[in-house]
Order: sequence, then C-alpha cells, then structure tokens
Amino acid sequence: MDKLERLINETGLWQASNINCEFRKSLSSGYPLLDSHLTGSGWPEDGVTELLHNHYGIGELRLLAPALAYLSQQQSKAILMISPPFIPYPPALNACGINLKNLFIVQPGTLQDSLWVLEQALSSKGFGVVIAWPKKISDKQIRRLQVASKESNTWNILFRQIDVGTSPAELRIRLYAVNNDPHTNSSVHVKIVKQRGGWESDIFKINFTDNLNQKTLDFSKLSTNYSDHHNDANILQWPMDLSSFPKATD
Amino acid sequence: MTRTYYNGLWICLHFQKLPIEIFTREKIAKPVVVTVKQRIVNINHSASVLGICIGNNLETAHMLADNLVCFERNEVKELAALKHLAQWAYQFTPKVSVKAPNSIQLEVRSSLKLFFGIKNIESKLRTGLKKMGFSAQVGIHKTPLAALAMAKGGKSKLKNIPVDKLDIEPQVIGELRKIGVSSLKDILDLPKSGITRRYGSSIVDYLERLLGEKPDPQIFISEQPNFSSEINFLSEITNIKSLLFPIRRLLYELYEFLISRQLAVNNFTFKLMHYKNPTRSFNIHITEPTSDISTFLLLSELHLEKISGVREIDSLKLTAHNFFPIPSLPRDLFHGTQFQQRNGQMTNSVEQEDRNRLFNMMNTRLGPHTYFQLFQEDDHRPEKAWSTIPKDKISGLQHDFTTINNRPMFLLNKPKKLKLRGNQPCLNGKLILLDGPERIDYGWWDYNINRDYYVARDEYTNSIYWIFHDQDHKDLKWFLHGIFS
Repeated sequence: MDKLERLINETGLWQASNINCEFRKSLSSGYPLLDSHLTGSGWPEDGVTELLHNHYGIGELRLLAPALAYLSQQQSKAILMISPPFIPYPPALNACGINLKNLFIVQPGTLQDSLWVLEQALSSKGFGVVIAWPKKISDKQIRRLQVASKESNTWNILFRQIDVGTSPAELRIRLYAVNNDPHTNSSVHVKIVKQRGGWESDIFKINFTDNLNQKTLDFSKLSTNYSDHHNDANILQWPMDLSSFPKATD
Repeated sequence: MTRTYYNGLWICLHFQKLPIEIFTREKIAKPVVVTVKQRIVNINHSASVLGICIGNNLETAHMLADNLVCFERNEVKELAALKHLAQWAYQFTPKVSVKAPNSIQLEVRSSLKLFFGIKNIESKLRTGLKKMGFSAQVGIHKTPLAALAMAKGGKSKLKNIPVDKLDIEPQVIGELRKIGVSSLKDILDLPKSGITRRYGSSIVDYLERLLGEKPDPQIFISEQPNFSSEINFLSEITNIKSLLFPIRRLLYELYEFLISRQLAVNNFTFKLMHYKNPTRSFNIHITEPTSDISTFLLLSELHLEKISGVREIDSLKLTAHNFFPIPSLPRDLFHGTQFQQRNGQMTNSVEQEDRNRLFNMMNTRLGPHTYFQLFQEDDHRPEKAWSTIPKDKISGLQHDFTTINNRPMFLLNKPKKLKLRGNQPCLNGKLILLDGPERIDYGWWDYNINRDYYVARDEYTNSIYWIFHDQDHKDLKWFLHGIFS
C-alpha cells in the first residue's frame, strides 16, 4: 500500500475513481466546443499534452494558436519551441496574435540533446509552454517530463505520430484531417483519447475562423503544360528531415 | 629657504627597448629592427652587433644583415604593454603611474618595510621584468622627474646627468650647449632669473619639479581586478570526476572575490595542467554577468561532463578577467509577482532569471548559436518576410504588420518542387486549389520573384498547403512553400 501511495505521489499516476476531486486551473482553448470536452473547461496549465496526428497541415498549430496568443500576449509567458520541423512563420504568428518577443526557438543538433533541453526547460520554471516535436521518445522519458512539468507548472505539448500507442501523458488528443466541403471554414476532427479527470470523447469537429477553404479554383482554367517531374515523393510524412531549418546567425 | 615637496621615493622604470620588446618577448637570436617610415628607430642586441644603428634606413640594415626581421612600430601595442606592466607593478605599491610612451613610475616609500628596503624592491622588479621578457633602466630618486632622469641618464648622481637626457626642448639644449652647459649641475649654477629670461619659464618650472621645489602631482592607475587562483594536487589526478570538489573550492573563492568587490563575471576559464602534458583549458560563458555561485557550479559541472581525453592533472587554475558591476536589478518585494511596466508589458524577473539560467546551460552544452528568436521583416517576398535574431534582441513591439492574406504557420526553408499528375500538382494526393492566386512580384533590386501563390488542399491527406506557381519559368513549375499547420 505504501508503495502504491508513493508511486501515486511521485510519478503523477492517477486513478479514475479520484477524478474531478481537485480544482484545476485551465486555459481557454479559444474553441468553445473543445473547452466543453476538456476537464476544467480548457487546456491544462501543466502536464504533458500529446497532440497526435499523421500529417502536417491539418490545423494542429492553429488549434493551439488562441491559447498561445493569450499566454504570450496577456500573460507575458515565454514559449519555447524545440526543434520545430519547419520555420514557424512570423507573419502568421503575428497575425494570430502570438508575441514574438516571448517566443524562443532552440535547434539542438541531436535527438538526445533536444530531449535534454526539453527536460531542462520544463524544470526551469522560466517558460509557460514548451512545445516539442520529438521524433522518438520513450514512456519513461514522458513520465519524467510529466513530473517536471507538474513541479514547475509548465505546460508541455508534444506533437507525435498518431500510431505511437499508449503513453503516460496526461492529456492525449488525436487530430484527423477533414475533407471539407468547399465554401466552409477549414476544420479539424478532434478526439480526446485520454485526459486526467475526464473520459475519452467522441470525434468532434472544430471549425477554424480562417477563410482557407472559402473558394475552390478550377485547374482547367489555368493554362498549364503537361510535364512530369521525378521528385522526392511524400516529403511531408514522418519523420522529417530537420536539416532544412536554418541555424540562427548573429 | 625654499620649501621642498619631496617626501616620496620614486622608482622609474624606463623601457627604452619597448618598441622592440613587445615583439621579441621570446628570445630571438636573429637581428630585429623596428621601423617608422623605413627608418630604424629601435634595434635588438644581435642587430647592434652587426653594426646596424638607430637612424639607419632599412636598405642599409638589409645590406648588413640578410636574416633581418623587421616590424613596423606599433604604439597601440606599446601602450597596452606599458599598462599591463603598470598593473603588474601594482603588486609593489598602490601608487603607480604610467608615463607614455615608455616609462612607469612607482612611489615606494610606504612599501619599503614590506619589501625589506629599496634594494630588494629594485631587484624584484628587475627579475620580474626579465622573466616577462622586458628590460628596463631603473632610476631611483626623490621626485618622479628626477627618477626618470636618473633612469635615462645612467649616472650615479643626479647632478652629473647630461642635459640631453633631461626633458628639455632640443632647441634649448642646443643653446645651453653653446654656452658651455653640459650637465644638470651646470644649469643649476646659472641664476634662475637669467634662465627664465633667456629660455622661457617652462624650463624653470621643469627644474623646480625635478628638484622637488614645486609639487608634481601624478595620476595613479586604478586597480584592475583580476582573479586567478590555482590548486596544486599532491598526487596526480586521473579521474576527471574527482575534479569536482577542487572546482567547487575555486568557484567559491571566485564568488567571495566578486562579492567583496561587488562585481559580476560573464566569463571564466579553467586550466587543467600537467607538467608533462599540454595544458587543457575550458571556458565558461554566461549570458548575463552574474555573481551567482550556483550558476557557476551548474555550468562548470555541465562542462566537466563533456571533457574527455584528459589523462593526468597535477594542478587546476581558475582565472577571470572581465568584470562588471553587479547589476542592480530591482528585486521583487513580492517574490515572483508580475508588475506592469510602462510599455504595457508584464515582466516577471524571476521567470527571466530562470530562463537565462536555461540559456546558459544550453550555451554550455549545445554551443552558442542553437537558440534564437524570430522576427517579422517588412518584405513582400515570403522568404524575406522573416529572420532569426539572437535572444532578447527584439526591439519594440511588432504590431505594425497588417496581414490581409492567409499566411501558413510553417514555412519551408526552401520551396520544394511539386510533382505533376496530369497538369495538376500533387504531393501525397492531388492538390486542389482553394484560394488564390495572390501575385507576388517583388524585389527587382535584390532578387526578383514573380509567383502566383495559392492555398491548396491535398486530396489524400486533407492537409492544407501554400503552393506557388513560378511565373518566371515558362515550363510552369509548381512549388510547395508553406504548411497551414
């Protein structure tokens, strides 16, 4: 019994019978539907959140943007991105209200170093959110991150592939791309797989407020010539090659 | 009776060979000369043996010595060397003044007891200078000017110093010689009023200061803090991990040194030495100057983990040279609370300190340029509309940019050429165009782009991309440039 209690206290294990018994601070996601499905009516302020998806470009960052904007702007919290797969594009970040002053990027050379930075950043208390795109991470490492982020009250977001299996993260959300009808807002399908103090949800649809999907153009009206290039196929699938991202220069 | 102002005892170190010795601190057997505009102004011993004289031109010197090494005179380096020597001489007395171009003066009366007399100080100065590779003429007298004259004149008595070694204008020296004056004694025998009338008051003023009849205030150098501490091990250390304890001891010394002087450092160096092996050193750089011992310890331990290939160490040395006054950050009365600043920004100095600590650790483990911030540039070309800048260099708030059109959250560093299926570009599946075109034709002065940008959805994955159609190339190429993540 003692052992079990210790395990619960030290590793952040939780029991489904104890859910909803603690007050949790949370952060509105900016999407009322998503808020209503999350315990505490919003994103957690700490712990590891896994966003699981198969492809880039399905709205995985747009889903986070309102919360990141609120944190970086109103609360003046720092955001750290560790090894983003592409350039987080300042015009878009500015447009959705993320304060670039509070955004820091780090590009460690090796996976080992990025995991080191991830853990150190979580235990440093200097950041509000730490976002990472780990190519490979073990359950044991996630458990350590979970403990570190709880202690320092830092929210950790991990973008991972959808088929990674189980993990000790407190909140796990699967994102599926939507084949939208034209002339509607773009959207993403969300399924909460696991959350602390709550249950698995059904798939629901989050609509973005952008107008990406508004029009559909017809290729036949463009005068294009037929030519076939032999190019690298399917470059946007996991894992990404990070070498294309530039080093910072003075 | 004239009042005398000499209650001091001055040592003058006159570095006549300074122009050459800044280059030849290592013993060189070759003839070396220093030139100004092709004319030789200073020579070393082997050059003078070969018959090269000061004042010769360079051609003459080359004729006399075929293995001649010549340097152009570097007065900046000379002054730096002189200042360094002055700092070195600070160990003998706090009253050290630099007399450019080539002398240092030390007032040593108050140090006589500590160093057991003037002879001892002199010999300590001489041996110390010799070790460093400098040679100096030493003059000792009761006033600074007299000491300088003694050093230059090389006579045992002040009165016997020839007039041309005194700081008198060359023209006046010539005239004095004409009336049969050759040494200081001869000048002093002349009536003062007559000298003033003939040669002006400056020479009398000089003589009065020389003899101590007039005060001659000096500007003394201020101490330049310098930390250097060494631990020698009785037995050689072979395990690098066991250095941790002595490192802590040295860092604690550094910490006490800093606290007692209210200073902070952003850089210090450890040297791992062994009498047989070459010295290994590692440098620790901190983003913000600090005197925080825990930061020192943390970064040193991090760095120690990286060191490999050190076999034996018999002494460890810690040095720090660049010091800053302790930053007087206003401490929070309420620890960790946020305060609204004048610019409307909320800051939290505790969080910032924590962040700096992480950046220091990243510096130490990953190297200096792994972290940065992003900046939006005012340019229509997508690849030019952003830049990376080192941490904390963002000035001002970036609110001015109005984005009318959609921009992707992720940009590819280099556009990727897309395959074509039929006449339609495709990635995983066919790309269906949703929005566009947005014509961007810009940058003729730099490099021009002429592209039609579209928002496109991949039919297979349903991802939304930012693609463009290059208008400059007639074979109509499609490229992927961004991802609406």
